[in-house]
Amino acid sequence: MIEDRPPLARKKVRYYGEPIALVVADSDFTAAKAVSLIQVEYKPLPVVNSPSQALEKDAPVLHEQMILYHLTSEDIYPELNTNICDRKKIRKGDVKQGFAASDIILDSTFTLPQSDHIAMETRAVHARIDADGTVFIKTSSQTPFSVRESISQTFNINLDKIIVEVPFVGGGFGGKAPVQLELLAYMASKAVGGKEVKMINSREQDIASSPCRMGLEATVKLGAAKNGMIQAVQITYLLDTGAYSDVGPRLIKAMIVDCTGPYNIPNVWCDALCVYTNHPYVTSFRGFSHASSAFCIERMMDKLAHALQMDPAEIRAKNALQPGNTSPTQVKITPSIFGNLTACIDKLKALINWDEGTMIEVGNGKVRAKGMACLWKTSNSPPNAVSGVLLTFNTDGSINLNCGCVECGPGMKTTAAQILSEKLKMDINRISVNMEVNTKYNPEHWKTVASMTTYMVGRAVLRAAEDVIQQLKNLAAAVLKCPPEDLEVANEQVSVRQDPSLFLQFKDLVHGYQYPNGNSVGGQILGRGSFIMGDLNLLDQETGAGKSGPYWTVGAQAVEIEYDRKDYTYRFVKAATVLDAGKVLNPKMAEGLVKGGMCMGLGLGSRESFSYDKDGKVLDTSLRTYKVMHFGETPQYLVEFVETPEIDAPYQARGIAEHGIIGIPAALANALSLAAQAELDELPLTPETIWRIKTGGCS
Amino acid sequence: MIPFDFEYYRPDTMQEATDIFRQLESEGKTPVYYSGGTELISMARVGNVIFDAAIDIKNIPECRVLEYDQDNNLVLGSALTLSEITESNQFPLLGKTAGRIADHTMQCKITLGGNLASTIIYRETVLPLLTAESRAVVASHDGLREYPINEIFNQRLNLEKGSFLVKIVTNRGFAESPYFHIKKTKNEKIDYPLLTTAGIKVGGMLRIPFSGLCSYPFRSMQIENILNDTGSFEERADKIADTVSENILNDTSGSSEYRKFVLKNTIINVLETMKDV
Repeated sequence: MIEDRPPLARKKVRYYGEPIALVVADSDFTAAKAVSLIQVEYKPLPVVNSPSQALEKDAPVLHEQMILYHLTSEDIYPELNTNICDRKKIRKGDVKQGFAASDIILDSTFTLPQSDHIAMETRAVHARIDADGTVFIKTSSQTPFSVRESISQTFNINLDKIIVEVPFVGGGFGGKAPVQLELLAYMASKAVGGKEVKMINSREQDIASSPCRMGLEATVKLGAAKNGMIQAVQITYLLDTGAYSDVGPRLIKAMIVDCTGPYNIPNVWCDALCVYTNHPYVTSFRGFSHASSAFCIERMMDKLAHALQMDPAEIRAKNALQPGNTSPTQVKITPSIFGNLTACIDKLKALINWDEGTMIEVGNGKVRAKGMACLWKTSNSPPNAVSGVLLTFNTDGSINLNCGCVECGPGMKTTAAQILSEKLKMDINRISVNMEVNTKYNPEHWKTVASMTTYMVGRAVLRAAEDVIQQLKNLAAAVLKCPPEDLEVANEQVSVRQDPSLFLQFKDLVHGYQYPNGNSVGGQILGRGSFIMGDLNLLDQETGAGKSGPYWTVGAQAVEIEYDRKDYTYRFVKAATVLDAGKVLNPKMAEGLVKGGMCMGLGLGSRESFSYDKDGKVLDTSLRTYKVMHFGETPQYLVEFVETPEIDAPYQARGIAEHGIIGIPAALANALSLAAQAELDELPLTPETIWRIKTGGCS
Repeated sequence: MIPFDFEYYRPDTMQEATDIFRQLESEGKTPVYYSGGTELISMARVGNVIFDAAIDIKNIPECRVLEYDQDNNLVLGSALTLSEITESNQFPLLGKTAGRIADHTMQCKITLGGNLASTIIYRETVLPLLTAESRAVVASHDGLREYPINEIFNQRLNLEKGSFLVKIVTNRGFAESPYFHIKKTKNEKIDYPLLTTAGIKVGGMLRIPFSGLCSYPFRSMQIENILNDTGSFEERADKIADTVSENILNDTSGSSEYRKFVLKNTIINVLETMKDV
């Protein structure tokens, strides 16, 4: 977005862990030895250690040359000579009036730390340059086509001279969407005459040097009438983008788009600032900022319920967006675009047994408490994001489905095959999908991110299916001497609707039809399907008005904990999610995705965070001290779905890959705030955090 | 990958081990004794430790014993893994303590000696040994010596260069005494301790050592005197907290004030659970 980051630091090092030199050697052993011989002398510079500090009047400016940076998108508004690299706004209605009409106004501030993706497979890349100048990159990436683009632009190489391959990716969570190691590996290969170079992050490098998850400081002011109806909200987000912006500007866009939560708030004022600090730079992370923004608004919903002595579930249902309302960016809400939040809340209440009470004494100073949070998320894909699918047939009638999306866990390739098999009414086992991606041979898929792959690839698959159906029918019609519209395609046959005993098999058509006398017609049947996002806009700079994504996925989540009043410790009992999936295409996969999301959400809520010393050095750069959820701490996970069709989506299915994470940190904080009778507005919620907030930090 | 070359030796006797050590030293090399390897490998990988040779003591029979001697003392070899100790169930408190160090995969590698000699500050297995007045048998080039644990372990295991821990000898009565074990972490069960205590009650008196509270594990007579004194549980907890107040650790696992709170809670908890034992 903002081309502010050199692959290797130049003149200034802006974060602890920033790559400053590359060593290329015949073995990793030799390379490590050489690295230990490099002496670096750093001259310490003043440090910016938080977003609020970055905005102070005399704060050092991290990027003095911001004016020279190339912007790759029109909707980025850097504020020169400051640490603000982008500011996005929502101005909807009139907040002054809204607050004036409010009986109650609540203010809160929130602090959420940076954290890491901790994919099991660390980032890794191979690079080589052939004698004819062709660049080969094999990388564990969610965005092979962006890698190609980035290498092309950075090093001025024609796109056709760059081939990027991606194997199965061992977990990405957004951390493998940015392009970092690929540039370094190319430079390394170039330095040794194009020989193949392999770079694999150690866990420590993966944490410290490669991009991490955003941090956030936020202030929220919420006004409501006595009956619980929200009148106005005013929000300021300071997103800690770290030393470089990467997708920071997109993250603040995502935050403003959904800043109200899935609630009808007529008057909205929101400023989201993307702020440079001397922290590691940030990139996409499952939920794309939503786990952070949902934390703020969902804590406010609970505070409001508490202040008005209302049921937190009821106040959410009461304010849920309904058809006819508009979103913060003034998109009209319809059942198809939005789904049904109220139904999700109702189902969740039953699932978690909400009505038994949200706080139950269990004796011995312990209490069981439940907290809830709602969520919504749309995408922030560029309007010109594309996805393509090519279909070829084998001579036995089976199909090869060729697409450019990456398999990084959510089962996208399976979904693509399911959609094709449904459309062609044929056995899924006769459809073979390319698992690896190669930018030379596979049609482009924008990026495997944003929970948009089913939507985009699925639409392209449907078009490709239509394309082959038409070709099959045309050829069969000529052979069977009937109009194509009288034919049907199913079970690898094209048959006459009135007389199904008249049919031709795929295998007799797909590589051309041969008449008994040997004459042949038709040739190979090749299917193509292409999709472009299309009707999305860049948002208005002043008001934020515009359409960011094609639809929302909404849901409601809850966490139940057992809390010990004596020592502020707690354990997870249950976590529950109800999503409006539009249509569940693959029940087991859907359930697994949502459970995985909840697990990550509990990690963010309870332990995952970076801490820094006074020089901004990250202290948690190994798994000795950076903690992720252990399997043994896993609570009971409950997952159910509501199905409100998204009428433009393939078989009405909404994206659900990220959503399980979004409301969980907030639901946990709501449960713990209730149990501890304290306002827990920061993460992670360790017993010490609760103790400090409860007691003021004095033993 | 370990980014340096080193020699590997696996002696079969104690004498052979100390001889190799002396020989390597005389060649100007830096040898280390090696057992489970979890710490040496992980630290060598990131360049926090460097050595020319590793002398693996796991093949020395004396380092692998798990038996009772003729005086009915429990003898545990220093190269026993934490999980072997836990599964043997001969020293329940030590087993419990060992079972809460790292995760199970690591417990199958980490050895008793390795944990005691660790450079990481917690060394939790020493807590049961301090309370049970165990004795440490150490091999050096001129033979075996036995030391009371509280002499050879002062903040850390203080071994003469070239010597290594062979086994730990513990009075059976102490090993089977009623005990308590409390480990408090930042949040996650499997983590370094904010505070671990693992003590016993002997002759009506509680013994209470700590790890994680300060930058080293310790047992303090002053603390135990207060603990076993009269006064309400809260008063005793406050007094103990005051005596260690200045030395309480302050790091990313927990602030010193919070550790102090956890300490007081833990003391009250110990007093309550052990009062009728």
